[in-house]
Amino acid sequence: MIRVENLTHVYNKGLAYETKAVDDVSFTVEDGAFIGIIGHTGSGKSTLIQHLNGILKPDSGKIFVDDIEITNKKTKMAEIRKKVGLVFQYPEYQLFEETVYKDIAFGPKNLGLSDDEVDFRVKEAMALVNISFDEFAERSPFELSGGQKRRVAIAGVIAMKPAVLILDEPSAGLDPKAHTDILNMISMIRKQTGNTIILVSHNMGDIAQLSDLVFVMDHGKLASAGPPSEVFADTAFLQGIGLGLPPATEMAHYLAARGCAADNIILTRDELVDFLAETFGSGGEAK
Amino acid sequence: MIRDITLGQYYPGYSVIHKLDPRMKIIVTMFYIASLFIIEDFYGYVLIVLAVAAITAVSRVPVRFMLRGLKPVMIIILFTFVLNMLMTPGTILWQWKFIKITEEGLYNAVYLALRLILLIIGSSLLTLTTKPMKLTDGIESLLKPFKKLGLPAHELAMMMTIALRFIPTLLEETDKIMKAQQARGADFESGGLLKRAKALIPLLVPLFVGAFRIAQELAMAMEARCYRGGEGRTKLNALKFRRRDAVAVLLTAAYIGILIAERVLL
Ligand SMILES: Nc1ncnc2c1ncn2[C@@H]1O[C@H](COP(=O)(O)OP(=O)(O)OP(=O)(O)O)[C@@H](O)[C@H]1O
Ligand SMILES: [Mg+2]
Repeated sequence: MIRVENLTHVYNKGLAYETKAVDDVSFTVEDGAFIGIIGHTGSGKSTLIQHLNGILKPDSGKIFVDDIEITNKKTKMAEIRKKVGLVFQYPEYQLFEETVYKDIAFGPKNLGLSDDEVDFRVKEAMALVNISFDEFAERSPFELSGGQKRRVAIAGVIAMKPAVLILDEPSAGLDPKAHTDILNMISMIRKQTGNTIILVSHNMGDIAQLSDLVFVMDHGKLASAGPPSEVFADTAFLQGIGLGLPPATEMAHYLAARGCAADNIILTRDELVDFLAETFGSGGEAK
Repeated sequence: MIRDITLGQYYPGYSVIHKLDPRMKIIVTMFYIASLFIIEDFYGYVLIVLAVAAITAVSRVPVRFMLRGLKPVMIIILFTFVLNMLMTPGTILWQWKFIKITEEGLYNAVYLALRLILLIIGSSLLTLTTKPMKLTDGIESLLKPFKKLGLPAHELAMMMTIALRFIPTLLEETDKIMKAQQARGADFESGGLLKRAKALIPLLVPLFVGAFRIAQELAMAMEARCYRGGEGRTKLNALKFRRRDAVAVLLTAAYIGILIAERVLL
């Protein structure tokens, strides 16, 4: 469980250009939950999540991971890094080893695991991100495509087996297929590991489909939190802070404007297809 | 944090000092540095400190911000201070076994440390109040006469511009990669020399790869906009010598005059 209390982070404190990137944010994340974080560019999402494994220190406020106060100076950071894995925005730029294998092994080795355990974890992580061990283990990470690099970088974090996996815009800048691959990979990781997952994304469709709970950031503040069906019901609020709707929800709005309204909010493509099939398909009749 | 390095940093502002012609500011700074070596006694230092304080006040750069630039060189200053204090022969003030402090040594040490501090503060005033682009414009313009001797003034200035432009970018990149590797359990802070040097590999490799990527992208972007060196290039914001620059020159002349007078007469 992660508990954040009144977290505030100010960059360049005391200078003319100081920015309050995170402003008095509090929330709780239950074990096994899938949290989606959305917010306009510069709203403080990346800053917020970098606190959750102690990479950034707050200016005020407290963070507890499984009741360990990680904002306490005495807390061993290695323990926290083991529990909370963080995949940064554009993680492919952190690759550095000669081979894919060695790069993925970097994290587990830093945890002080035995060679056998490291080997096991690397293979497991590569399978999870769908990078074939036989084909890629001995290749240089710099020779891979952008999407492959990204998956190798994600494997490097997964191999540390964190109980909480945080991903910062894992599909930014990828083509549609690579994007879908990454998303499927995340669903798969969740299914197989039961991890708590925190996903930061600008893609409302992905967030609506995957999250149990959505956090909305606006100018450093937690502007709203709730299940997708609630958060995405407030169109005016979302548009007011520069965000949009999931494509399926938007489509449902167009349909409603033409007199074909659904009873419940529609969030995903599947729900939309079901609704259309019910309304217009062979089984149903046009209203 | 690595971003706190202020050496060569610009502090945005709209003061008269900010607006002065960069060529003039560079020359004045050179005169200022020379002036540090004219003076020899207490009153001379008082004059210089007053001058620097006045310029700082006019420029509205916070003193705290300026002093931060001293942090990285503090060790050098302390070192020269102690060395001078202990190594100068003369009248002994205090002695403990073979360590002695002399009157001359103390004077020397204080003056030298002051000189170094004033040198750094004075030159950071230049960089703090001048945009890097303007600074290189100024350097290019000042180097122009040497073009006839085969000095590639424009190219040198362009190289400086690019280097200055990318210092913050590379620092940001370093910061990001460091954080990412720390998230994978990398430890940059503990262990012996060898272990620490080894720990830098996960930082340096991605940093170099990134630097080369950035350089390549920049070169392409410049070529795409038809950059082909300095021949026949004109400037959007040509440097102009204005009344306020003339005033600054007069003030500098007065300053140097007073310092020389002080040295000769007192
Ligand atoms: N290292 C830093 N130093 C100074 N300011 C920063 C730094 N990182 C972020 N900021 C500022 O803090 C604010 C929040 O940035 P942050 O990166 O957390 O936003 P974000 O929500 O992740 O945006 P994006 O969607 O573009 O990734 C922004 O105003 C940004 O300019
Ligand atoms: Mg971000």
